[in-house]
Amino acid sequence: MPTTLRIALLAGLLALLSNLAVIGFIYLRTHDEAVATVHRQVIEQGKVLADVYRSGGAKALDDAIDDTMTYADPQTVIALIKPDRTELKGNLETVRASLLAAPEGYRTALIRLRGQTTPREAALVVHHLPTGQWLVSGRIAGEGFAIRDTLERSLFIAVLVAGLLGLLCGIITAHYVGSRISGIARVANRISPRDLSQRIPVSRAGDAFDRLAAQINAMLDRISALMEELRLLTDSLAHDLRSPVSRLRSAAHAAAEASDPAEQEELLGSVIRQADSLMRILTAVLEISRSESFTGRKQFNWFDVGELAAELAEMYDPVADERGASLEYDRPSRPVPLFGHRQLLAQAVSNLVENAIRYGSTGGEIRVHVEPGERQIRVEVGDRGPGIPADRRDEARRRFGRLDSSRSDEGAGLGLALAEAIAHLHEGKLKLADNGPGLLTILELPVHAARAA
Amino acid sequence: MGRKILLIEDDRETASYLSKGLGQEGHSVEQANNGQDGLFRATDGSFDLIILDRMLPVLDGVSVLKALRAARIDTPVLILSALASVGDRIEGLECGSDDYLTKPFSFAELLARVNALLRRREARVDPAEHRLTVGDLEIDPLSRTVKRAGKKLDLKPREYLLLEYFARNEGRVVTRTMLLEQVWDYHFDPGTNVIDVHVSRLRRKLDEGFEKPLLHTVRGAGYMLAA
Repeated sequence: MPTTLRIALLAGLLALLSNLAVIGFIYLRTHDEAVATVHRQVIEQGKVLADVYRSGGAKALDDAIDDTMTYADPQTVIALIKPDRTELKGNLETVRASLLAAPEGYRTALIRLRGQTTPREAALVVHHLPTGQWLVSGRIAGEGFAIRDTLERSLFIAVLVAGLLGLLCGIITAHYVGSRISGIARVANRISPRDLSQRIPVSRAGDAFDRLAAQINAMLDRISALMEELRLLTDSLAHDLRSPVSRLRSAAHAAAEASDPAEQEELLGSVIRQADSLMRILTAVLEISRSESFTGRKQFNWFDVGELAAELAEMYDPVADERGASLEYDRPSRPVPLFGHRQLLAQAVSNLVENAIRYGSTGGEIRVHVEPGERQIRVEVGDRGPGIPADRRDEARRRFGRLDSSRSDEGAGLGLALAEAIAHLHEGKLKLADNGPGLLTILELPVHAARAA
Repeated sequence: MGRKILLIEDDRETASYLSKGLGQEGHSVEQANNGQDGLFRATDGSFDLIILDRMLPVLDGVSVLKALRAARIDTPVLILSALASVGDRIEGLECGSDDYLTKPFSFAELLARVNALLRRREARVDPAEHRLTVGDLEIDPLSRTVKRAGKKLDLKPREYLLLEYFARNEGRVVTRTMLLEQVWDYHFDPGTNVIDVHVSRLRRKLDEGFEKPLLHTVRGAGYMLAA
């Protein structure tokens, strides 16, 4: 069954049910009311006649019956019946035995009044008088029951109309919903890897469909941004791998051409070194994407950042020394606990220190500093080298973003990008600042986020 | 002396290259080309070393390793893997392997690690030595003092650890990454020549003023401490 039809039927059914509930309530109330009114009137009339007999005797009752027959409306039933069940007085055409068989009191029965052709239903009260006579009084209830009949008929029509209206309403609703949804589906259909520019039109109504459309549009924005990023990254990866690959190629070529065995061995060594550096680039790219997708979180542990920095400072001290710079580290007096990935943070800090040594050792002093804080831990590496001007800092942290492209040393331009990715893994940030003079790189690592993880 | 090595590797080229190389070193190599077969062969515990590829058909390397360790077979295991990230290496080491080497690798690197693992197996059998000696070099691990030809050498703590690691692998090649992993416990690849700088500092303290050098550079592989 198509959804549109199902929605239409459901809406119709709901309209029918709600109408039935209202009309049914009215029916029950009015029906009860009509019957109760007749019942009350009949009891009252019977009581009045019985009182008349009790106070005035047979004579008074006769007069009362005469009066009733003269003045009362044609629906009134009145009769005095002899013990032999023939009518003494009144307007009954025939007296049926069944009428008097039951004990005294209220009942309904089919009777025929004098001058009428068909028997009709009446509400009656029967009294057995001490003289052995029966006093029957009441009303033809036809009027009350006729109201009921009319009501029932009109109720039936009302239900029928309600059902039809409901169905119509359902069809309109289904059509509306269907057209809104197929509008969205049409756009979704047009979206392909080649064209992500399509967006679903959002009306001003601000209803659920508009919210859906807005959500889908936001999702499309994100997908196209990601696709663009992926394309840029793949492009730049392919582009930036060209230079190490071409270096590798020329080294291999030179080794193949060399005639002197010693020279050839030397050149083959360089081939292996170039291949290793290519592998290093690929590993760094992998590490960046792993960190950006938060895969390392399983391996988080508590450790002392102060101790980690001390270890790295000690590790790089001789390297800085060889380049003519001193590496200073003032270890905080107390442990600086952090819940994080010790190995990756070690790599991030070592990248910053290596950068400082590589580009800032001319300034003579490299300083590593750990600043413990209530909400975040700052790991700072500062040098006194040439630094990076403020407008080029974003470029420096981009993948493969090497500021001086003429340099052909081992750096692939991934150091800062990897440090930043590792900071992101810890929900932190990498900041580049002016060390006046020199470059100050700062890893800001929040304590709260790590604790919650 | 040749040892029994089980090589569990599904790549036929790598397997024959390794098996040939290790055979030339005098080891006898048995091969398995899937995880299930490898596990089956390894369960008798008769091997001195297992070289295990991480991605294998039928049963992957990590599962093989876990099954072995659960069966209390403590044969040293060296994992080979193309999964090169720091997280992958740590995961590989944490599931019970003794060493982890990422592809591609040089045969020299693999051989150095294989020898170190075999040496460790040997050391497990021998009672712990109280004193390490290499030629006229004497190392006392308890007091962490080092003497050469009777003269005390003044080493920094990390230099001592470096020397002790060399001494425990006397006569065997030790690579730069092995030093980084074993002496510093870092599993990432530093871009600079940081290990070389440390080794050359140690060498200056160790060999300067002595006629016969102890700490040798092995081209294309690493370093070796030998008398």
